[in-house]
Amino acid sequence: MILLSLRRTAVIFKGNKALFIAFLPFIAPVIFMALAVTAFRGPEMRPAGVLKKVEIGALVALFVAGLSALALVLNGSATSPLIGASGLGLSVRLDPVSAVMLLLVSFVGWVVVRYAATYLDGEARQGSFTGWLCLTLAAVLLLVTSGNILQFAIAWIATSRSLHKLLLHYPGRVSAQRAARKKWVTARLGDVAMIAAMILIFITYGTGDLATILAAAQTGQGAAHATWIAVALAIAAILKSAQFPMHGWLTEVMETPTPVSALLHAGVINAGGFLLIRFADVIILSPGVLAVLVIIGGFTALFGGLVMLTQSAVKTSLAWSTVAQMGFMILQCGLALFPLALLHIVAHSLYKAHAFLASGGAVDGVAAIKRPGPVAIPDGVAVGRAFVIAMVIYSAVGFAFGIADKSPQAIALGAILIFGVAYLLAQGLADAAPRVLTQRTAAYSAAAAIGYFALQTTAEKMMAGTLPATPAPGPLEWALIVLALFSFGLVAIAQAMFPLWAYHPAAAGLRVHLSNGLYANAVFDKLLGGWSTKRNS
Amino acid sequence: MTTLNDLSPAFLTKTSDTAARAIPPVWPLASSVAVNPYLGQSGETLAQVGARLGRVGGVPVTMPRAHYNALISDGTITDADITAAINAQKADNLPQLDAIKQAAATPAMTPAPQPTIADLAAKVSGIDWPGIFADRFGHWAAGYFDQGQALWAAPRRRSAYDAWRQYATHDLTPEIAGLAAFAQFASDTPDTAADARAQAATRLGLTQEMLETYLHQLLFSLGGWAQVARYNLWQAELAEKTDDTITDLLAIRLLWEEALFAQYEDQIGERWDKVKAAHGRGVLPDRDLTINAILQEAWERAVQRDLARTFATPAPDQSQDHPTLQAAFCIDVRSEVFRRALETVDTGVRTLGFAGFFGLTVSHKGFASDVDELRLPVLLNPGVSATSEGENVNAAQTARFKARAVRAWGRFKLAAVSSFAFVEATGPIYAGKLVKDALNIAPPTTPNGPAPRLDPPLPLDAQINAAETILRAMSLTTGFARLVVLAGHGANVVNNPFASGLHCGACGGYAGDVNARLLAGLLNDPDVRQGLGDRDIAIPADTLFVGALHDTTTDTMTLFAGDHPSAAHHADIKQAEAWFAQAGVLTRSERALRLPRADGDSDIDLRSRDWAETRPEWALAGCKAFIAAPRPRTAGKNLGGRAFLHDYDWKQDNAFGVLELIMTAPVVVASWISLQYYGSTVAPDVFGSGNKLLHNVTGGIGVVEGNGSTLRTGLPWQSVHEGESYAHDPLRLSVCIEAPRDAMTDILKRHDAVRGLFDNRWLHLFAMDENGQMAWRYEGNLEWSQIAPEAPLDATAQG
Repeated sequence: MILLSLRRTAVIFKGNKALFIAFLPFIAPVIFMALAVTAFRGPEMRPAGVLKKVEIGALVALFVAGLSALALVLNGSATSPLIGASGLGLSVRLDPVSAVMLLLVSFVGWVVVRYAATYLDGEARQGSFTGWLCLTLAAVLLLVTSGNILQFAIAWIATSRSLHKLLLHYPGRVSAQRAARKKWVTARLGDVAMIAAMILIFITYGTGDLATILAAAQTGQGAAHATWIAVALAIAAILKSAQFPMHGWLTEVMETPTPVSALLHAGVINAGGFLLIRFADVIILSPGVLAVLVIIGGFTALFGGLVMLTQSAVKTSLAWSTVAQMGFMILQCGLALFPLALLHIVAHSLYKAHAFLASGGAVDGVAAIKRPGPVAIPDGVAVGRAFVIAMVIYSAVGFAFGIADKSPQAIALGAILIFGVAYLLAQGLADAAPRVLTQRTAAYSAAAAIGYFALQTTAEKMMAGTLPATPAPGPLEWALIVLALFSFGLVAIAQAMFPLWAYHPAAAGLRVHLSNGLYANAVFDKLLGGWSTKRNS
Repeated sequence: MTTLNDLSPAFLTKTSDTAARAIPPVWPLASSVAVNPYLGQSGETLAQVGARLGRVGGVPVTMPRAHYNALISDGTITDADITAAINAQKADNLPQLDAIKQAAATPAMTPAPQPTIADLAAKVSGIDWPGIFADRFGHWAAGYFDQGQALWAAPRRRSAYDAWRQYATHDLTPEIAGLAAFAQFASDTPDTAADARAQAATRLGLTQEMLETYLHQLLFSLGGWAQVARYNLWQAELAEKTDDTITDLLAIRLLWEEALFAQYEDQIGERWDKVKAAHGRGVLPDRDLTINAILQEAWERAVQRDLARTFATPAPDQSQDHPTLQAAFCIDVRSEVFRRALETVDTGVRTLGFAGFFGLTVSHKGFASDVDELRLPVLLNPGVSATSEGENVNAAQTARFKARAVRAWGRFKLAAVSSFAFVEATGPIYAGKLVKDALNIAPPTTPNGPAPRLDPPLPLDAQINAAETILRAMSLTTGFARLVVLAGHGANVVNNPFASGLHCGACGGYAGDVNARLLAGLLNDPDVRQGLGDRDIAIPADTLFVGALHDTTTDTMTLFAGDHPSAAHHADIKQAEAWFAQAGVLTRSERALRLPRADGDSDIDLRSRDWAETRPEWALAGCKAFIAAPRPRTAGKNLGGRAFLHDYDWKQDNAFGVLELIMTAPVVVASWISLQYYGSTVAPDVFGSGNKLLHNVTGGIGVVEGNGSTLRTGLPWQSVHEGESYAHDPLRLSVCIEAPRDAMTDILKRHDAVRGLFDNRWLHLFAMDENGQMAWRYEGNLEWSQIAPEAPLDATAQG
C-alpha cells in the first residue's frame, strides 16, 4: 500500500523532477500519516498485518530521509514552492539542519516502531498505540522539515497533542494522569509562547517563509523586535525541553510503555533546542536573551546532573539525565554555539533511545559493578594530576584540530568537556588502581577527547553557512564564560573527589534535597492539585 | 470513646515479629527464586487466608467466579468434583451443591480492606495520603536498599530506622503536600524503633486484639519493600543471626499513621474507633470465600482426574535395560518436554530427573569475579565453595582489569559533568548499537567459561560421601551407561530484568551448569569411584560423566566435554549431541504451539536474542503436578511440560531417608513455584509484579511500575497471560509419590510445616500404587482415602 502510494506520488511528479525533489522530504511524514490511518483502522489486538506495514513504511521513510540528504548534497539548500499564501501554508525546507533532523528522527522512528511491534504484543490496544506513535512521528517530521512558520507552529502543537495520547496509553493510571496533567499545562504554556513568537515574526518580517526570514535576520533586519521574538522563542524552547523549574513532568512520564520514553527522549524533547537552532539567525540578534539561556541551561545541566546521581530507578535516572543534557543543549544555544547544540541533539538522541530501550539490562548492569572488586577511589592529589593531564590532552588534541581558530565560547565548552574526561583519568590514577587500569582509562580519555573534537569539527564544517557563526564575546559573554567554567569546574572537581565528601554526614541533608529535585515538582504538584483524591478518582 | 490501652511492650514486640513473619521474603532480581506469597499463612486454609488477606489488603485468593462458572458449563468441573470438594472442607454449615453452582454464576464481592489512618485522612482531607506516603517511603527505601544503581548512594546509618529518621528530618515534601511540621515530628521521634512503635501505639490507642491484623496490614501496604526487609531477616536467620530491618519499616509506617492521626484526629477519631473494633474481631471466612475455596478445589479435583487418566493410559516401554546414554535433568517442568522428546529419538536413551543443583550446595565465584553466587536452594546454607578462576591467573587478572576499566567508563558516563563529555564524544556510536540491537544481529552468547573446581578441594572422604549421597538420592546406583550427561538448565534472554527467574530455582536463580560440571568432575575421579565401589556403587570404568547446560529458551544443549577429555568417548559424545539436537527440534516445535508469534521450531531461537521480547519462554507457567516415581511410570506419557519429575525408587531407599528429603526439599521448592504462579495469576495487582512494558528497574534489586514507588514482586503479567488468555491455570500442585503411605505419614508427622502445606491443601498429596496409578489421596490429618481407578484416555483425546 505504501509502495503503491509512493508510486502514485512519483507519477504525479513525473516530468517535474525539480518539484519532486523539492517535496521529497515531505514523503516521510506523509508515510507516517498513512500508517497512522492504517493502524487506527486495523485491529486493536495483535494487528500483525498493520505492524508489518508500519515497519516497512518506517524503513521507506528512512530511505526517503537518506535520499533527501543526497539531494541536499547534490543540489544545495532549498525551499519547496509554497502551498498557501503570504509564506504561510505547506512548504518543505531542505538544508543541513533539517536534513540532519530528518535522518535522526526517521532513524529513531524506525527503531522505535520495530521495537514496539514486538514489545506490545498481546496488548489490548496495540492498534491505537501504533497509530498514535506513527502520528507523533509524522508531526515531528513535519516540524523538522517546515519551510514556513505556520507549518512549524501547527506541527509543534500536533507533536505534543499526539504525544499526550501516548502518555495516557493506560488512561486509568493515577500517576500517568498526574504526570500528563503537568505535561499538559507546560505544553499549553509553551504553545502560547510559540504562537506569540510566530505572530511577532510574521509582523516583523512580513512573511512566514523561513528562508526569507532567516536571510533577512542575517542582514540585521528586525532588530527592533528581536528581543520580544527571542523572549517568546526562548520561553517556548525552555518549556518544551524541560528546563528548571518546569522539568517536573519529564521525570515522571515512564507511566507509558518504554518505546514512548525512547521516542520522547530521543525525538520530541529536543524540539526546544531545534527551535533555537532553526531560528538561530533571529535569536542571535538578542544577546540578552542568549545570556538568560546560558544561565537557565547551565543551571539545569548542573542541577539535573547532580540529581541524577541520587536516583535509584533506572528510567528515572535516565530522565534526569535528559533534563541535564537538555540544559547543556540550551547552554550551547545560549553561547551561540548552534552547530554544537545540533551535534548534541543527535548524539544525545541516539544514546538515550538506546538507553531506554535497553533499560531492562539494569539488573545485570548493577550486578556487574561488584564483580571485579572494590572501586579505586582517587584522592586530591590524583584528581589534581588528572586535571593537569586532561588539560595537556586538551591542548594536544585541540591543536591538532586547530583550536586557535575557534571562538572563545567553543574553547570554553571544550574545557568543560575535558573537565569530565578528567574524572575518567582520576579513576585510573587512584593509588589503589593497578597500572593496567591507568593505561586503559588514559586510552579511553584520549579516545573520548579525539572523538569529541572530531565530531565538533565535523558539525561546524557541515553547518557553516547554514547556522550563524558565534559572535565575538562582549563583556557579558565573557562573564558568562567565566561563570560557566567556574561552576562546571567546581562540580567536576566535586564529582572526581566524590566519595570523599558525599558520605560526610554534613552532605546528608544536601543529598535528600537534591534527590527530591529541590522540590520543584512537589510545588508543581501542590499547585495543580496532583495529589487530590477528587480529581484522581 | 476512650480505649483502655493494655499493650505491654513485650506484646507489641512479639506481634511486630508475627507481622514480619506474615510477609514473604523476596530475593533480589540478580538471583531471584520463586517464593510462596502465602508463606506466612500456610498454616491456614485458602478460605481463612482469603479472609485475612481480604481484611489486610483486599486481596482475592481465587479466580473471579465467571472463571469457575465457565468450567462448570463446559463440563470440566462436574457435580461430583464439587461434592467431593465440599466434603473435603473442614468447616461446618457448608453450602451444598446447588447453592454453590448458583453462586458460581453470580460475581462475588471483591473483599474491601479495613482503612488505615492514611485512608481515613485521605477521605476527610481530599489529599491522597496513602499515595503520598507510598511515594515518600518508596523514595527513601529505593535509596536505602539500592545495590548500586545510584552513583551517590543513600547513607545507611546504623539501621533502617536511623537512616529514615535522617531522611525524614530533611525531606520537605510532606509539608509541601500539607502534613504540617512533619520534619519536626520526625526529628522528635524516639531513638529506637521499638520505642517509636510503642509511642505510636499509645498515641493511636492500639489494643491487644486489633494488633495482629493491623500491623500485618501496615507491613503489607509497603509492598515489595517489606519483602526485601523480610529477605534480610531470612538470610540473617539462615546464618543464625537476626535482623531488625522489617520491624524498623513497621515503626516508620506507624509513625506516619501517628503524624496523620495528630493532624486529623478531630475528623477521623470516631471512624478510627470502629476500625479498631473491626481489627479486633476474629478472622473468619464468609460464605463467599468458602464457596470460592470449594470451587477452586473442585477445579483441582477435575484436573487431578485427568492426571489419573494419563497415568492409567498404557504407554509402550521403549527403554532398554542397558542404555547407551543416560541424561539427568532438573525436575523443572521444562525438562519434561525435552526428556520426552529425547527418549523418542532413540531407544538407547534413558533420562532421569533430579533437583537441578545436583546435590551440591555451592557458593561459587565466577571467572574474574569477587561475588559469591549461592547456587543452591534458598532453604539451605552453602556447603562447598567453588571457583571458575581457571589455572591461568594472568587471564583472570587481565579480565578483571578490563572489567574495572569498563566500570570506570560506566561511572564517567553517569557522573554529573562527565556525562556531557560522554554524550558528545560517543553518542553517534549508539547509532550502530541501535541497528545491531534492532536487528538482533549480536551473536548469541554461548556458555563456555572455564571449568569450575571446588576451592578449597574437599577431602577424599567427603567427596566419596557426597557422591554416594547424591547418587542414592537420584536412585542411580546401577546400570550406568557409557555416557552419563548431567544437564543443569538456564535461560538465554537479553534485556530482561527477570532473567534469573527463568534460570534454575534449585540453583538459587542461577543457571545450573556449574553444579552439573562439578558433579561430573566428582564422579569421574578414579579415587572417588574406588570409594564408591567399596560402598556397593560400582561405576564401570568405561562410564564417562559429562556436565551440560540445557538452554530452556532455545532448547539447545551445550556439553562440556572438554572438562574431561576422553578419546574413547568421542563417538558417544558426537552421537549424544546429534540426539540432543534432534530432541531440540521436537521440543521447540511442541513449545511453539503454546507461544505467541511462533509457528514452529525455527521461530524460537530469535526470542532469546530479541531485546523487545516480553515472552521469550513460558518458564514454569502451567505447572500443576509433581511426580516422584521411577521414570517408566511417566515415560511415553505427555505431561505437557506441566509436571515436575523426580526419579525415585522407594525399594532402594533404606529407612526412607531419600523420601524424607524429597518431601521436605524439592516438594517445598515446587510448592513455592506453584504458589507464586497461583498468586501472580489470581491477584496480579499484589502478588504479581505488573506490566513489563512499564517496568522501571530500581536499585538493581527489583522493579516498580512506571513512576511508582512501591516495589513490585511476583511474576509479571506477561509471564502468566498470553494477551488473550491465561498461560497459567492457577492450580495448587498435585504431588504424586510412589511410596508406602505409612512412610509418608511418618514423615509428615515429623515435619509440621510440610504437613501444614498438605493439611491446608496448599498442596495435594497422592500415593501411587505398584502399577503407577494414583491410588490414594491424602485427606489431611494423617488420613488417606482410596481413589476409584480412572479409565484410560482415548487415544484421540490424549495430549
